[in-house]
Amino acid sequence: MTRRLMARLGQALLVVIFVVVLTFILQYVLPGDPAHALVPRASGAVLERLREALHLNDPLMVQFARYFGGLLRGNLGQSYVQQRSVVSLIAERLPATLLLAFAAVVIQTLIGSALGVAAAFRPKVVGKAVTSIDLVLFSTPSFTIGLLLILLFGFRLHLLPVAGGFGLLQLVLPAITVALGGVPWYAQIVREETIQSLSSPYVRTAIAKGVPDRRIIRTHVLRNIFPPILTMAGLDFAGLISGVAIVESIFGWPGIGQLAISSSNSEDRPVVLGVVLIGTVAIVVFNLVVDILQMYLDPRTRQGF
Amino acid sequence: MLCGLVIFAVAAPVFGNPNHQDYVNGLTANGLPVGVGNSRYILGTDTLGRSMLPRLAYGTRTSLTVAFIANATSLGVSAVVALVAGFYRRWTEAVLMRLTDSFLAMPSIPTSLFLAAFLPGGITRVVVIATIFFWAYPARVFYGEVLRLRRRGFVESSEAAGAQGSTIMFRHILPHLFPLVLTYAPLNAASAVLFESALSFIGAGITPPTASLGRMIQENQNALSYSPHLLVEPTVLILLVTMAFLLVGDGLKARNPDLARVSWLTH
Repeated sequence: MTRRLMARLGQALLVVIFVVVLTFILQYVLPGDPAHALVPRASGAVLERLREALHLNDPLMVQFARYFGGLLRGNLGQSYVQQRSVVSLIAERLPATLLLAFAAVVIQTLIGSALGVAAAFRPKVVGKAVTSIDLVLFSTPSFTIGLLLILLFGFRLHLLPVAGGFGLLQLVLPAITVALGGVPWYAQIVREETIQSLSSPYVRTAIAKGVPDRRIIRTHVLRNIFPPILTMAGLDFAGLISGVAIVESIFGWPGIGQLAISSSNSEDRPVVLGVVLIGTVAIVVFNLVVDILQMYLDPRTRQGF
Repeated sequence: MLCGLVIFAVAAPVFGNPNHQDYVNGLTANGLPVGVGNSRYILGTDTLGRSMLPRLAYGTRTSLTVAFIANATSLGVSAVVALVAGFYRRWTEAVLMRLTDSFLAMPSIPTSLFLAAFLPGGITRVVVIATIFFWAYPARVFYGEVLRLRRRGFVESSEAAGAQGSTIMFRHILPHLFPLVLTYAPLNAASAVLFESALSFIGAGITPPTASLGRMIQENQNALSYSPHLLVEPTVLILLVTMAFLLVGDGLKARNPDLARVSWLTH
């Protein structure tokens, strides 16, 4: 067991390292001189000195070593645009993103599960309706939903998202936007899981006994579908940390996604790179946690590469 | 399921539309975009006075083009990776699977932003980025399938018949993998469409004069409050195109029930 654990950890580490290397290499393959980006007006001798100071003329391996060393110490570099470290910029905005992702996951889990269970219980009517809703929701890009919501609710002066910022009220629309995007996924899976557990002997007995109360059936069903939902939610959360960037941008929600977009527009590469790395680490970490939990909870789960 | 195909086909001839995005100003007296149902511009115009109809048509064309190309490339890569990994086992397999995991772990939006800075804009860029992200997931799915296929008799019998290594094995396993690939394709295409619109929206995709549905939404963001059609129209189209693909996928699955494993569990 511990060996699998170690193996899993090793895998995760490899993945992260690989991404680091990849992004580093990409920085060099690309056109654009970091020194120039940093101080656009520099030229000639000044530029050269700048490059020296930034160690841009060192051999690739040396630069990478330095980069990697910095990473290990938690240094993600300096922003080109603002005179601050990338880490501080990200740290400042991370809580906002985490909050949004969390809220979204909660909402979509609840709605998705409700829809899924309902669909499982009444496959003919509700089921079909849910499928259609799912289809539509899935096919609509998130930013579209967001903008539509702004249109609708912005006009009833319900919740003003435009001002941006970090309040509970401002959380509502973005969270709903993100959640709506994820609902189809949950609805589908919950529905399938529910159907499966509905056909389990225990439940069939209960139905046969004439237990009318959905409540009792729900007790069993919910307990069954809870683990997979938790797994999905966890992974989703990790993905959302980076995935809410667009929504953040639309609603002016001050998270790392919005930071990434604005930095990208201002050519502030270290920041974007920082967000990329954080996002990757988040995903890897959550995958790892989820896998480990599964290994503990369910010895049947022995697959894996 | 045929309705999916029909919608799909309908979107195609729409390109026959005016070849030309008319920059003739179709603005009202106040300089605002014209609404739907206007005598001259049926679907209204955008903030620059360009008629929506041709733009929508071109945008759809863009989306479809991207969908097809990105689909082909990403599936091609994933199929190859899956085959090689599944076939050569041991070391190659481990490496390739790690690689796949790494790519799966990369968050799509920030990374796209990052990559977008280096690549020249336009369809190529979108396709490249889409391929980078969309290859990993199908690779895993196909890999599983390849493993399953290996256990079936014909691998051993081919070896027994003296078939050597790679080339011939590919000729055997690949045809069996094909139905799965084909079933996955529409889903992948749908995702590609959504992805393209998202990228164009944040500016990492198609560049300005070329019409792209996502881009259109982004460009006209500010005018939304008084010209909602600017949001609604591209959205509806994106919706239709995506749904068309998904429905086609459903249709394929219906005809081939054991491939029903593939569902919309990706995004």
